[in-house]
Amino acid sequence: MILKLAINGLKKKQRDYLILFTGLIISIAVFYMFLTMSLNKEFILQNSVINNIQVVFLVGTVMLSIITFFYLFYTNSFLLSLRKKEYGLYELIGAKKVQIRRVFQIETMVITAISLAIGLILGIILSRVVSWLLMNQLNIEFTQFKVVYLPAVFWTMVYFLVASFITSTVHNTLLAKSSIIDLLHSDMHNDGIPSEPKGSALQILLGIFFLGIGYTALYFMEQLRFIGLFTAPIATTLGTYVLFVALLPIIVRKWKRNKRVNFKGINSFTSGQLNFRLSSLKWVLATIALLIALSAGAIAGGFAFKNDAFTSIDEHWQYDATLYNPGAAEMAVLDSIPVEEQLTFRMKLNDEFIYLVREELNATPPLIRDMVTYEVVRPDPLPEELEIEDGSQIVSDQWFTALYAINPALEGTRSTRIVPLEEYELAEGEEISILLARTADFSAHIEEWQKLDELQLDVYPGLVTGFDPKTDSVATKYAQFKTQYAIASGTFFMGFFLGLAFLTMMASILMFKILSGANNDIRRYDSLRKLGVRRRVLENSLAREIFIVFLFPGILGLLHVFVGMRMFTFIMDEPYYRLWVSILIFLAIYGGYYFFTVHLYRKIVLPKH
Amino acid sequence: MKTILKAKNVTKTYGKKGSAAYTAIRDLSFSMKEGEFIGIMGPSGSGKTTLLNMVATLDPLTNGEITIDGIVVSSKTENQLADFRSQKLGFIFQDFNLLENMTVFENVALPLSLQNKAVKTIQSRVHQVAGVLGIRDIIEKYPEELSGGQKQRTAIVRALIHEPALLLADEPTGALDSKNAAILLDTLAELNRNQQVSVLMVTHDPRSASYCSRLLFINDGQLDRELFQTGTREEFHQEILAVLGDLERRPVAGVRI
Ligand SMILES: Nc1ncnc2c1ncn2[C@@H]1O[C@H](COP(=O)(O)OP(=O)(O)OP(=O)(O)O)[C@@H](O)[C@H]1O
Ligand SMILES: [Mg+2]
Repeated sequence: MILKLAINGLKKKQRDYLILFTGLIISIAVFYMFLTMSLNKEFILQNSVINNIQVVFLVGTVMLSIITFFYLFYTNSFLLSLRKKEYGLYELIGAKKVQIRRVFQIETMVITAISLAIGLILGIILSRVVSWLLMNQLNIEFTQFKVVYLPAVFWTMVYFLVASFITSTVHNTLLAKSSIIDLLHSDMHNDGIPSEPKGSALQILLGIFFLGIGYTALYFMEQLRFIGLFTAPIATTLGTYVLFVALLPIIVRKWKRNKRVNFKGINSFTSGQLNFRLSSLKWVLATIALLIALSAGAIAGGFAFKNDAFTSIDEHWQYDATLYNPGAAEMAVLDSIPVEEQLTFRMKLNDEFIYLVREELNATPPLIRDMVTYEVVRPDPLPEELEIEDGSQIVSDQWFTALYAINPALEGTRSTRIVPLEEYELAEGEEISILLARTADFSAHIEEWQKLDELQLDVYPGLVTGFDPKTDSVATKYAQFKTQYAIASGTFFMGFFLGLAFLTMMASILMFKILSGANNDIRRYDSLRKLGVRRRVLENSLAREIFIVFLFPGILGLLHVFVGMRMFTFIMDEPYYRLWVSILIFLAIYGGYYFFTVHLYRKIVLPKH
Repeated sequence: MKTILKAKNVTKTYGKKGSAAYTAIRDLSFSMKEGEFIGIMGPSGSGKTTLLNMVATLDPLTNGEITIDGIVVSSKTENQLADFRSQKLGFIFQDFNLLENMTVFENVALPLSLQNKAVKTIQSRVHQVAGVLGIRDIIEKYPEELSGGQKQRTAIVRALIHEPALLLADEPTGALDSKNAAILLDTLAELNRNQQVSVLMVTHDPRSASYCSRLLFINDGQLDRELFQTGTREEFHQEILAVLGDLERRPVAGVRI
């Protein structure tokens, strides 16, 4: 009986539940996708590159599950507040508390179950799309990858069912404690008059002070390291809260002081609404500003990290290809791309030594990055005499680096001897030629580098004893790039979807918060209509009011991102790479939620006649 | 004296023509002179609110014509009506409908702000009218902080601040105790007498009705009887009670078509 009533009640609040669902469904889908990416067993064994991606997705899963828990907790309390009055009525007509509590729990679980069904389907589609994109980007086949992966399905269901069971149990105990009267009057509560701000100048200063510390820590993260890592989030969070709580009421008050503006049209109504709304939402808004920073930061971080795979590879490798005994096939590939610089060296190889020709090295010293000055230079010419100590030749640090650049596969496997030409001609050993090639843009010819690496696989067994092309590899620029790029692409998708999930959850929280005030507003808007305010004017007032509520956390959140991205300078070169893309994505989602909120609000308070 | 309100053959049918249609007001005509204080009485469901809402331009007529202050309102667009209301009409609602998010000052200034009056004008006008009704001391408070009587006076100030041609009130004393009801009606009657404010008020309560200069009794959506105040208020009160007793003996029913 009560259950039947409850289902009817559920139907009536469809709209609210729909919003609740969207956030939940998105987070379930992303959660599943992360899990599938990180748990697919056969897929792990198959490829070491993928192994790295999986760690990235596992980290993503952990972060997502923490945030999702809070989201579930919040939405569940919102759910309860939506239904309180109805539960009060049930109790009034004689339902027992136990029954009502059971109804609430069942309701929560049903909602979670429905969201799980839809979310998992969406998650499977998402996994398909993301794995396909990753495959394309990395140029590898995910032959063993299962899009429908049962362990991932299982753990997703376990996580969400357990989490919503916990949250609904907590809220159930709260429900048990509240009296019928509380329940019945739960929708009558008024926001309360915003209190006269006291000592707010001090608070604002304090907020700016904390933010200043946080931003400084973010900005100088490279120097501060661990201290910065701890200070930045704490100070920024604290600053955000203090600033919002102190500043928002002041801003509206200032507005209202301007009588010329305030007493024009229904501005006094709009600012009055804002005055109440901002002061009751200031905590939520501060939280949202932080979440925006996190989500936009995650998306931006992903972009920057992916870009970094390209820029950082050039730091360590001045030559794009290093070819041993290049044959006609290799040369054909090289001929097809615009090579800027091409160097050839000879070496002789026996069991004990690697011989190199001093004249050749001095004639065309290769570019290296100096380990001290960090600049790209060519080493100074080698001296006539090179000392030998403990069986190895002593060369300058620059030449030490250069030798590895010339001979990445073999340098270090035996003693290197740089000798004059006559001596070289006499030396015993197999002669090998090495070709270094450099283009203006490594990233423009990825396919060619890959082809060259594959061709070289036939050469390595002759050079390195016991080389098995299946399991062994030689350090080349392309090989390193491939690993780096795989991690970066994984991080990119992880950051992107993590950000997306955060953003959806956050925006839907803001939406609930605003819409839950709408019922109180129905009468106000009706009064205004009766007093002769045009519908258009009311619509504008409403849109403006909600815009400002959305605006504040948006601005501060983006500011956090702008400053915060600086933090990544200590792991990458261009943390601001394509920041605008992430900002556009953020604006699109956030803006979408804004318009949706306005639309729903309008439907509630300004019904068509 | 000038006619402020004229209703001619007004009909209001709710719902679609046909099966579920319900005629709440049927071919009703009356007119009101400037400075009159008219009360509308009648049993529950007789169409009082419906009539008032049509006069207030909140509800469209099905048939007929309503003219207020020389303007035929029944043929205007929604926006024109909104502007008309904000300029020509004043409202007192049953539960006052003050906007809780605004101070008393902002509440009463709203009708003037809507007409984009200069801040100076607004301030002096609010000051003046607030003085007359004795709410000057609470002008910076929020409605939540007011007593019932203060809310009521605020509502009157808001209804009168822009000098409307016609003041409309639907059971303004419905939510008040008898003492506050008396204060409200005294105030209205005084404003009506001294400042020639025209008032149209719906009421159930015979005592409230006795403040009016004329009463329209509505039954089944039609004008049933009219009553003029001739003697004292107490005599008028007795007269109203007599009429009501008379009317009560007849069955109350809606009209189906
Ligand atoms: N929106 C509507 N749709 C359909 N019928 C309506 C609507 N509003 C009112 N009615 C009907 O019109 C008739 C008159 O209603 P109205 O509200 O005018 O009565 P009233 O005289 O004000 O009654 P009361 O004294 O109880 O306030 C009633 O029978 C009512 O059911
Ligand atoms: Mg009525």
